[in-house]
Amino acid sequence: MKNDNKRNGLIINILSLIGFIIFWHVLVALAREQIFNIPFMRLKDVPTPIETWYALVGSMFTRTYGPGLTYGIINHIEASLVRVIQGSALAFIIGVPVGIGIGYSRLIHNILNPIIEIVRNMPPMAWIPLAIFILVSGGSIFIVFIGVVFPIIINTIYGVRSTDSRLIDAARMLGASQAQIVTKVIIPSAFPSIIAGLRIGFGVGWMAIVAAEMVIRSPVGLGYFIWNMGDLGRYAEMVAGMIVIGVIGYFMNISIVLLQKRVIKWVD
Amino acid sequence: MGRLILKGVSRKFNGFLAVSDVNLEIADGEFVCLLGPSGCGKTTILRLAAGLDAPTEGELFLDSKKIEGVNDECGFVFQEYVLFPWRTVKGNIEFGPEMKGIRKEEREQIALHYIDLVGLKGFENHYPHELSGGMKQRVGIARAYANSPKLLLMDEPFGALDAQTRNLMQGELLRIWQEEHISALFVTHSVDEAVYLADRVMVMSARPGMVKDIFEIDIPRPRVRTSPEANELRDAILKSLGTEIKRAASLK
Ligand SMILES: Nc1ncnc2c1ncn2[C@@H]1O[C@H](COP(=O)(O)OP(=O)(O)OP(=O)(O)O)[C@@H](O)[C@H]1O
Ligand SMILES: [Mg+2]
Repeated sequence: MKNDNKRNGLIINILSLIGFIIFWHVLVALAREQIFNIPFMRLKDVPTPIETWYALVGSMFTRTYGPGLTYGIINHIEASLVRVIQGSALAFIIGVPVGIGIGYSRLIHNILNPIIEIVRNMPPMAWIPLAIFILVSGGSIFIVFIGVVFPIIINTIYGVRSTDSRLIDAARMLGASQAQIVTKVIIPSAFPSIIAGLRIGFGVGWMAIVAAEMVIRSPVGLGYFIWNMGDLGRYAEMVAGMIVIGVIGYFMNISIVLLQKRVIKWVD
Repeated sequence: MGRLILKGVSRKFNGFLAVSDVNLEIADGEFVCLLGPSGCGKTTILRLAAGLDAPTEGELFLDSKKIEGVNDECGFVFQEYVLFPWRTVKGNIEFGPEMKGIRKEEREQIALHYIDLVGLKGFENHYPHELSGGMKQRVGIARAYANSPKLLLMDEPFGALDAQTRNLMQGELLRIWQEEHISALFVTHSVDEAVYLADRVMVMSARPGMVKDIFEIDIPRPRVRTSPEANELRDAILKSLGTEIKRAASLK
């Protein structure tokens, strides 16, 4: 019964994807035959799914890139992923202790909260000019960091604060010191929430990196790739790049969900 | 070892007198049950003895040492188990020794001893969510014992269990208690349970929580739940408790 439902769901998923691709193709084909157009849009310039596919395959199997010949999407994927991972790692290393501090100590909360409340409401994109004009290097990593660190801090605070006070009582009764309560009770208990923060942060970081690479114009990266392809009028590569961005974002999310399931064995 | 004394203990919560002038002495190795209507301050008394809370008036002593701050010479067994969900059975039981900095091999030995004692062999590496209520409570008891407490404080530890498991666990608890010889203060709502377990039963009255009656139970163990002496005591305790429950209800 349950398996049947799962299979039916999967079939509908696949049909829906195929349906969308057909709809896309028909729409562009009609526009090219001048039968139909969406006002204010050059629909005929949109690549068809097949053109997009060829562009993707074409750009997949080359590693050459350079001005005007920015091909080799693998290079761009690699560059963006490395930046997101570096920025997220930095955000994790800084965000988790800060979140624990704020969640645990009223004093630290009172000191840091006003700053965090304002800074976290500046979208990562608002930091791009600063990254360009003031930072010497690592601008895109910095933008990712800004995007990732706040979801991690906020989730860590929440995780720390929602630690069951009875668990803390139990630990105290068993002779745990204040420091041991933090390391042996509060952190493990907040752990699922911290990972959830990382997951949200990764999503934000991925959005931020694409925007940052478009503006910062580092010569490699998916954001740069789609912008440059658009600039060159190679719309098929541009759309292929967009799809790659979506698919990678999706798999990043899935991989953290899998990590959650693997690492957090204690919840059913 | 394990003598608990409460001297004129009161606890007020924002002007509300939850526990008033309780005097109680638990002898070394004695098993005392605390009975009373809901809200009469049983949990409060346990928390005071544990040092998780401080009295507004009066003093508590364990082995003539005044209880101030968390009293980790007590073991606490909670009604809702309160196990560390990210630790296995063994990990939970090892928690106390680990906090004390006992070496890994040694605390493993301690854990295995108590796992054996509470009959959880084969479940060492299970997580709490994989256990039944009765098994979780065994872990809770083993965890308290593994910390070698002088006094065991238990807050309706079997309240969430079905009648059969409950009877079984009572027998097990007595067996472990006799083996380890620790004093115990045990809160329950069940008169039957109190008569089966305790050397002494203290009945409390509500609002404010005070000691109303104390019953000595000198029926030798193992006890037969339906023996005439047990029945007689049960009737007397029920009567004492019944008027309190009625009074507590009329106060609401
Ligand atoms: N932290 C607290 N703040 C305010 N009031 C409290 C607090 N803890 C307990 N009380 C009050 O003190 C009274 C006694 O509470 P306690 O939990 O000790 O009762 P109890 O006898 O354990 O009840 P039950 O049998 O339902 O567990 C109750 O009226 C309760 O509302
Ligand atoms: Mg209670």
